Amino acid sequence: MKRFGLALILALIILSFAASAPAQTQSTLEKIKNSEVFTIGVRNASPPFSFINKQNERAGFSNDLAELIHKGIEKKLGKQVKMGMKETSPATRIALLTSMSVDLITETMTDTRPRRDSVDFSLTYFVTGADFIVKKGSPIEGVKDIAGKRIGTQQGSTNERILREKYTQAQLVTMPDQAAAFMALQQGKLDAYCNDAIQLWGLKYKSANPDQWVVVGEWISYEPYGFAMRKNDSDFRAVVNNALMEAIEGGEYFKIYEKWFGTKSDVPYPMTQAFKSFLLNQVVPK
Amino acid sequence: MTYEFKWSVLWAQPHLTWLIDGLLTTLRLASISWCIAVLLGIVFGAMRTVPFRPVRAVATAYVEFFRNVPLLVWLFFWYFGAPEAFPEPVRQWFIHHGIEFWSAVAGISVYHGARFAEVIRAGIQAIPRTQLEAGLSSGLSVVATYRLIIIPIALRLIVPPATNESLNLLKNTSLAMTIGVAELTFAARQIETYTAKAVEALTSAALIYLVLCLSISSVMNWLEGKFAIPGLIARGTRAEH
Repeated sequence: MKRFGLALILALIILSFAASAPAQTQSTLEKIKNSEVFTIGVRNASPPFSFINKQNERAGFSNDLAELIHKGIEKKLGKQVKMGMKETSPATRIALLTSMSVDLITETMTDTRPRRDSVDFSLTYFVTGADFIVKKGSPIEGVKDIAGKRIGTQQGSTNERILREKYTQAQLVTMPDQAAAFMALQQGKLDAYCNDAIQLWGLKYKSANPDQWVVVGEWISYEPYGFAMRKNDSDFRAVVNNALMEAIEGGEYFKIYEKWFGTKSDVPYPMTQAFKSFLLNQVVPK
Repeated sequence: MTYEFKWSVLWAQPHLTWLIDGLLTTLRLASISWCIAVLLGIVFGAMRTVPFRPVRAVATAYVEFFRNVPLLVWLFFWYFGAPEAFPEPVRQWFIHHGIEFWSAVAGISVYHGARFAEVIRAGIQAIPRTQLEAGLSSGLSVVATYRLIIIPIALRLIVPPATNESLNLLKNTSLAMTIGVAELTFAARQIETYTAKAVEALTSAALIYLVLCLSISSVMNWLEGKFAIPGLIARGTRAEH
């Protein structure tokens, strides 16, 4: 048993190194100023928020808003910085943020109270709720029909958590990413896939045969999207929020919204009056 | 911005249940795959050494085809590709009886079967040819010589490399999370995404894998000593442990 003990001791020594790793003390604005790069966390398949388009470029609603924040940071620092992009996923994004690999998560992250224990969020820039996407003609019309059915979710998403905690009758199949989940749905290995409604609409319009897919159900959750950043960095947070407020006040936000969700866009999703008032109410006076 | 450790997330419910379920799934996945892989390994490893060319060719094709594609690709193949080829009723049956798990079993056992075959071939080829000739000249058939003489000796010779392969198989079960199998690594990631306590969650998985692997190598070491044929194989002192 000597070997057993030695290996365990070695493991504990390595762990204690990890535990005593030096704390990061540099603020985000300092970091951006020194490195001259502002790095955002993006996704390759979350249309229309953050994805790789047909021209093989990173694009999306969140990306365009991040561009405005980028300008706000340059104004604050008084110098030009580059905007870098790094691929993230629900499972990796918080770790990438706390390890300083990215400065702002700009994909589709729902602001929740438990998440506020580990990160800070910007103003809410979009509101949606969880729905199901099914093949046309499926008997599933909403959350009442999912008992015993194979329901796909994405690991680390808020929808997965709600289904696991509140709708225990469903047979959950948790996939690492959206592409795998939608593939399994297309092959009939899942009866439905649950995600934020707006993302399901995005999936439907991006699929080879959009008419074949239906988004069903009442929202089973409330999903306000915010940009996530490292905790306790209020200077950086103010820069991000001011950029968003200026965009809402000055109308750029609504132009970008029209570009991605307007009647002529790929994912028409007209803005409700309630959401518009909510956005405007988030803007504090100059 | 300092990272605060909170080890209690590991035994807070439902996290502990996830870890235990994940561990049980890992053990089930590893043990079923291991049995199939060893069986495939013995059959194809032996076939690669028999004195008939067509049999050797079949076994070589199996080994080279399956060991030269990454396991992750195999898992996607067995989950997204292979089931589509089955007739619809069979496919539906699998879908409703844990298709994720059985696709993982198929991927891991066939891939590791090819690797085990190489280990066993090496074991057989380490046995002097005279053993086979002695068996044949005493009136045994080729199959009987293999079953009674060659394979029993080869199995004893290959314990150290086979242990290595077994540990690899156990650790490779973690890839099954990519096709939705809720095994141990999946459970650790799950805790991490719920609590944002990455270090704690992944450390727990690392320690569990470490303990599992050390246990397996202890058992294999014991087996090696227990089944050694005295005087047959020249060996130094037993491995220190």
